[in-house]
Amino acid sequence: MEIFMRLATGASLLAMEAAEEAEAGGFGINTNLLEANVINLLIVIGLLVYFGRSFLGKTLSTRRTNVETAIRESEERKKKAAAALAEQQQKLAQAQEEAAKIRASATEAANAARAEILAKAEQDMIRMRETASQELNSEQERVINELRQRVVALALQKVEAELPTRLNDESQRNLVNRSIAMIGGAQ
Amino acid sequence: MLSFLTDFNFVLANLEVGQHFYWQIGGLRVHGQVFIVTWFVMAILIVASLLATRNVQRIPSGIQNLMEYVLDFVRDLAKGQLGEKDYRPWVPFIGTLFLFIFVSNWSGALVPWKLIKLPEGELAAPTNDINTTVALALLVSIAYFYAGLSKKGLGYFAKYVQPTPVLLPIAVLEDFTKPLSLSFRLFGNILADELVVAVLVLLVPLFVPLPVMLLGLFTSAIQALVFATLAGAYIHEALEGHGEEHEEH
Repeated sequence: MEIFMRLATGASLLAMEAAEEAEAGGFGINTNLLEANVINLLIVIGLLVYFGRSFLGKTLSTRRTNVETAIRESEERKKKAAAALAEQQQKLAQAQEEAAKIRASATEAANAARAEILAKAEQDMIRMRETASQELNSEQERVINELRQRVVALALQKVEAELPTRLNDESQRNLVNRSIAMIGGAQ
Repeated sequence: MLSFLTDFNFVLANLEVGQHFYWQIGGLRVHGQVFIVTWFVMAILIVASLLATRNVQRIPSGIQNLMEYVLDFVRDLAKGQLGEKDYRPWVPFIGTLFLFIFVSNWSGALVPWKLIKLPEGELAAPTNDINTTVALALLVSIAYFYAGLSKKGLGYFAKYVQPTPVLLPIAVLEDFTKPLSLSFRLFGNILADELVVAVLVLLVPLFVPLPVMLLGLFTSAIQALVFATLAGAYIHEALEGHGEEHEEH
């Protein structure tokens, strides 16, 4: 009987030692909740979740709405800017078109003006040349007439000057005779 | 590894400080429990980022909205410290610091890690291990040296003798005190908070530790903010040359 008791205690001692050894070395789970401070940690975590959730939730939702409004605003701005850009581009195209038109009409007008001016100049030239030649002719005629009259006048003057000296009775007679002879000879 | 601070092993009733779950990787003994929780934190951040960017909508909702909010926060933080001009390249670095430290701290304060038993040591926030905080602080040091050198070349070192060469020892000392104060501030705050909570839980298991735990949540968030802010301030100082001191506690 006694020996059985001894064996039993020995076995239990061995078992305890083995258990202690297992506790001392190797990984395990500590089931002592008080020693592991689990209850306090759970309370702390609970408090943290309880207060943190509302705070964090509020902060995050504000942030989200801020981001949303920022995105919306910037998108609106972008849309506005795109519309303005399109409008301005349209205006630019219109202006370019108009500029092209103006340029074309200006070229046309310039060409027309050039042709007109050229034609007018030519006309003027012809007319001037005509008038010039007319004037020249009339001047020439006038000068010739004048010269002729002058020559006649000079000749007459000279004749009148010389006539009294050279014309005596004999020569007058000779002259008359010759003239009569000439008239007679001619008949 | 800086283990001089955490190597004092003492057992306060059931409370273990300086007990670590060691892994042997090559010639290094690393603190496995820190790795596990660090991976957990990284997984949270990566999964959250993936979920947020998986189906990006024009009008954000759900987790995308949350992560965009977080990004806004981090960007404002970097902008506030570095200024409008050159904050942009530093947003990922400062943001990563803030998010990693924040999630680490809160995971230590909110996840019941003690449910999982390790062979040695216990799971906790990675930032309550001095190695993590020293690594982060050294990253900040490298970052501000890089910022100063990449902006001004070797002229960066002129700031050590800028007002007067008399201050050269202090200026050099500053480069050592900056990572030291950064790492110890974070490490001390988080470890102290977890210790206080653990001691209170040991004494009175229910309800009494609650105020301290809530305070711990607050402190953890503030410490993450302080670390990221100071990192930004140091980088700004390196970029700007000789600037005023930014000290916070």
